[in-house]
Amino acid sequence: MLELFQQGFEAVLTFQIFGLVLFGTVVGIIFGAIPGLTSTMAVALFLPITYGLGPAAGISLLVSLFIGGTSSAILLKIPGTPASVATTWDGGPMMERGDGAKALGLGVVFSFMGTILSIVALVFIAPTLAKMALSFGPHEYFGIAIFSLTLIASLSTSSMVKGIFSGVIGFMFATVGIAPVDAIPRFTFGQVNLNSGFEILTVLIGVFAIAEIIKVAEEVKYEKQAAIKQVDMKGIKGFGFSMAEFFEQKWNFLRSSLIGIGIGILPGIGAGTSNILSYIAAKKQSKTPELFGKGINDGVVASETANNAGIGGAMIPLLTLGIPGDAVSAMMLGGFMIHGIQPGPLLFVSQGVLVYTIFAALIVSSVMMLVCEFYGMRIFVKLLAVPKHVLLPVILVLCVVGAFGLGSRIFDIWTILIFGLVGYGFVKFGVPQAPFIIGFILGPMAETNLRRSLMLSDNNFMDFLTQPISGTFIGLAILSIVWHVVQMIRGKSGGVAS
Amino acid sequence: MANKKRNEFFLGLIMLFVGLGYLWATANVPRKSEGIDASFVPYILGSICSVLGVLQLLGAARLVAVTTSDANDSSVDYPTVWKTLVLIVAYVALLSWVGFPVVTIAYLMAQFYVLTPADQKPNWVLYALVSVVAAAGVYLLFRHAFDLMLPLGWLDFATE
Repeated sequence: MLELFQQGFEAVLTFQIFGLVLFGTVVGIIFGAIPGLTSTMAVALFLPITYGLGPAAGISLLVSLFIGGTSSAILLKIPGTPASVATTWDGGPMMERGDGAKALGLGVVFSFMGTILSIVALVFIAPTLAKMALSFGPHEYFGIAIFSLTLIASLSTSSMVKGIFSGVIGFMFATVGIAPVDAIPRFTFGQVNLNSGFEILTVLIGVFAIAEIIKVAEEVKYEKQAAIKQVDMKGIKGFGFSMAEFFEQKWNFLRSSLIGIGIGILPGIGAGTSNILSYIAAKKQSKTPELFGKGINDGVVASETANNAGIGGAMIPLLTLGIPGDAVSAMMLGGFMIHGIQPGPLLFVSQGVLVYTIFAALIVSSVMMLVCEFYGMRIFVKLLAVPKHVLLPVILVLCVVGAFGLGSRIFDIWTILIFGLVGYGFVKFGVPQAPFIIGFILGPMAETNLRRSLMLSDNNFMDFLTQPISGTFIGLAILSIVWHVVQMIRGKSGGVAS
Repeated sequence: MANKKRNEFFLGLIMLFVGLGYLWATANVPRKSEGIDASFVPYILGSICSVLGVLQLLGAARLVAVTTSDANDSSVDYPTVWKTLVLIVAYVALLSWVGFPVVTIAYLMAQFYVLTPADQKPNWVLYALVSVVAAAGVYLLFRHAFDLMLPLGWLDFATE
């Protein structure tokens, strides 16, 4: 393992890749900080740029965008990401009483430490899990795909009907083209362009970038500029807090990291949930719970550690099983595929060096994030002043170029527009977008493995339940739906449509 | 979106329509055998979608009609959304014929103007500068650094 790590670091610390990682982290921080832009959008936009780069350079750039985009922008009082909601509960009051630099320092340092601990977990868990997954057959993969789909569909929104609908629609779009096993064209309506189905990148750019641009167009004309509070950094030593304050947080840090990593591994519930859960856990365990919400260090640490610890957690199922747990890891999967890399257990056997290059890139960009976020924040704040009505059209042009670059076809550009409208429709009707993407990605995996399993078991469906691993996952999938239905009935949440 | 009930009901109709339409399209998929084939999974998906549509309609019917006037809905500027959509469609439609550089400059200028905040005057000098630099920069970067042959359209004579 050490030798592979050394090779990974050697690859990342070359001039070209190091420069790309620095660039990616800075761009990721900017995208994470500007309301209306997201780290998912940053990864989508930069996917085409990676076409011309090798797999190691391309994936390192994407990884750094991913890491940079999770920055604690909320400490600038920028409204936005659900991943940092709990940070504002104490970060806000700290800022108001003049402890902004300390809040920022704690947030940045514990974000970094949460990320690093989650990468350590990834490094140790992923190869073991990959070894186990090597023995998985089609029954197991079908079980895991169905479990992931149901979990994300039922947990991503309060309305299970809308969540499942979103996943089913994504799956439906994935059935367009040549069918697995039978090789029969389906739903192509005689269009040759549709024979190979929809490109994952066009779906991702459409749903996450184009839909977002249309959404911003709704309000950009009459929107009032949010006031950005500047943190006074004069006279601040180190990261703005003492060593005693740092060591006070050791148990809080450990607990919040474990919550973040655990939730990150599960598909469907990401940093949006983990930051709140770890905040609640920290408050429950605290000797001074009454100080929470009034500007206590523990609140900022709990939230920022947990939301960043999800990074390594989310990478575990992505790298070992090829299963993305949320939108941004789905985007990463798209990046892997563009470079001809198929995440899964075999990746650890066939391309071990690349896997450890990814680990090294994650670590290097986390260090970059630490430095850039704390010391470069005043520069980034100035960048936030770039007017949105100038920025968004340029982003649209880049989306168009990215889609065209896939196969030099205007057809792919029309596709991003169609998926953009689908994504915008989802926003308007309150349908979550993440299950759609996961359905699109996991749908073919579920169908192919279902067909293969049935061929192996002579069309015997009972095999899915009698085989231990697939049976467990299908059982868990059924349980998650039943649990959600019971919750709905108990809570009388106003019917399925609410 | 003033009426939540109407909205939820409309979504139910869309779900049902999509589910039934997909089932109809599945029925036209060529069959290889009487058993499990390429139409098996699509039939399941179409059926689930249709059932979800019915559940959504039933849920919507149970909702009390509430006319909401929350701040989010009242701030939606649909004329700008429509103008943006028209501009994007025109941009893509003209891309191969007019060529990337020219149509991109025209699109960016028009889109900047459409999205200019109501309390600001359009800064045409800035718009022209950003449009030309962005169009030329993206074209040259992708054409020369990434070997992506973006359509040149009207400017094609320049390369002949």
